[in-house]
Amino acid sequence: MEDKKLTWEDFIKISDVCYEIPQSFRADMRVPARVFMTEDMFDDISEDRSLLQLVNVATLPGIQKAAYAMPDIHQGYGFPIGGVAATAIDEGGVISPGGIGYDINCGVRLLVANMNYHELKPYLEQLATALFSAVPSGVGRGGRLKLSMDEMDKVLIDGARHMLVRGYGTEEDLMHCEEEGCMAGADARLVSERAKKRGSDQLGTLGSGNHFLEVQRVDDVFDATIADVYGLQKDAVCVMIHCGSRGLGHQTCTDYVKKMMANLTEYGYQLPDRELVCAPFTSKEGQEYFAAMAAASNFAWANRHLIGHWVREAWRTVVGSHADLTTVYDVSHNIGKREVHTIDGIQKQLVMHRKGATRAFGPGTSQTPIDYRAVGQPVFIPGTMGTASYVLAGTQEGMEVAFGSSCHGAGRRMSRAKAKKTVRGTQLRAELEAHGIIVRCDSDAGLAEEAPIAYKDVDSVVNVVDRAGIAKKVVRVTPLAVIKGG
Amino acid sequence: MKKKKDFESVEHTADIKIRVYGTTLQELFTHALIGMFQSIGPHASDCTIEHERLVCKSLDRTRSVEVDSPDREALLVDFLSEALYLSDIYDEAYLDCTIHELTDTHLKATIRGVPVTGFDVVEIKAVTYHDLAIKEIDGVWQTDIVFDI
Repeated sequence: MEDKKLTWEDFIKISDVCYEIPQSFRADMRVPARVFMTEDMFDDISEDRSLLQLVNVATLPGIQKAAYAMPDIHQGYGFPIGGVAATAIDEGGVISPGGIGYDINCGVRLLVANMNYHELKPYLEQLATALFSAVPSGVGRGGRLKLSMDEMDKVLIDGARHMLVRGYGTEEDLMHCEEEGCMAGADARLVSERAKKRGSDQLGTLGSGNHFLEVQRVDDVFDATIADVYGLQKDAVCVMIHCGSRGLGHQTCTDYVKKMMANLTEYGYQLPDRELVCAPFTSKEGQEYFAAMAAASNFAWANRHLIGHWVREAWRTVVGSHADLTTVYDVSHNIGKREVHTIDGIQKQLVMHRKGATRAFGPGTSQTPIDYRAVGQPVFIPGTMGTASYVLAGTQEGMEVAFGSSCHGAGRRMSRAKAKKTVRGTQLRAELEAHGIIVRCDSDAGLAEEAPIAYKDVDSVVNVVDRAGIAKKVVRVTPLAVIKGG
Repeated sequence: MKKKKDFESVEHTADIKIRVYGTTLQELFTHALIGMFQSIGPHASDCTIEHERLVCKSLDRTRSVEVDSPDREALLVDFLSEALYLSDIYDEAYLDCTIHELTDTHLKATIRGVPVTGFDVVEIKAVTYHDLAIKEIDGVWQTDIVFDI
């Protein structure tokens, strides 16, 4: 279908931070599309095809209420990144791998230390070096752990819980993790041998690109009550881990895109974009993909759990055996879930797609850990390298306005090639270090590609989410040390 | 004699995009494979960098690839995905291939490459269908391919 151009005049204002493309914009839309943004963000957002991709999402069979976009929306494959879409299982609702992403369960884990910044400062250089050594990062560097096929299957079914059984991490790490680190419904048999082979030496690795490990300091507290509940006081020291399911997840998504592509004509769908390939959730393909996606998600949680364990070990080696890190929480920002939400007074079973979007459940929700339940689920928004990241809390309003979903970060505004021409990695390293940020990264080119100038402004993205009421700012953290692959 | 264009980089905000050319479809598929691996900067011993490309004295690692797909574009995606999978499990980069059979829905090829110690800065998560449309323009086959990194 020819792309119908979108202009500002096509939008209906819902509020200063929410604008809607009505269903009447295009004949094949089943619901409207809603974008959380301010007016001055429109020019930037409309530079790529993300808004038209969002319109395409609104055509999916069974989609409910609206196709949503977070303020960090940018062009993806099929779905835009920063997209949220729920389809109703009992109304022929589909599941679409493009609505979850190739990096299944890419997400963020945040740990907090039992020491503050001033206590940590003398150890920081040594700690950065120890972390860089403890956690394999770049491409081509396999992990410290090699999994047999039998053990791989246990990881795929039990996720982070299996790593605890193996002696890594703590029970609290599980309790403070989305799905407690183990999503139900996973079936290891539905993950291909190829995906398992790729993942067999990748458990406990960061990967590259925009994946990283950061040591951070809480430098601003917006909501002291919630910050206290999360254990994040001013000058607290945190470690943020951003990574996903590595080659296992990528292969799993590729495998199921191929399978669904082959069976697409069976369902008679007229898709405006091939990359929206999907199947009814209740179909054999839909069920198999969901079970494989759950398994790949468990691999990612096991991955972040293991990295968290090694971070803790390295920390104790440098600082002393009294040192400890507690997992604040772990969130996914590329995942599909079965969730129940009330729509027009009716409880519906939904397939929730969050791609580059984070679950942000409000106070009182049973999925939120019991010790956080009064204040809502933590949400982590990583900034770009060398800039701030944010911790937010899910809200009741967010449950109603966006199916309990929030943004996940800031999208790119500059290509990697242009970033490398604009920024020299050695100069960026020097600038970061001049600001007191220690950098451990093998590749100057890799650093340049991830330079802050290459990304949109995370502060404005987070402010929109806060103003829209879909998640509430709790603290801001700034980096002390950045560890990343190439 | 002016060298025929095989592939070139195209500006893309978030990922890697190449435009691939070939005087035949077999050549197009071969150039797509080369373009994919050259774009991610493989590191290999006994190889040099010339004009930003890895040049190796010999490509001793060979792998067989056979794929079946619903159409030509899907075939190209599946072929490159297969090569990516082999690259990941064997730590190799493939810089040439011989295509034995090619129809709109079936491919059989031998891909040739070298062992690698790593790649420049990126790992390809997937070969996407984005902007992928194999067309013949003025007697030359071409397509864009975007790799999700």
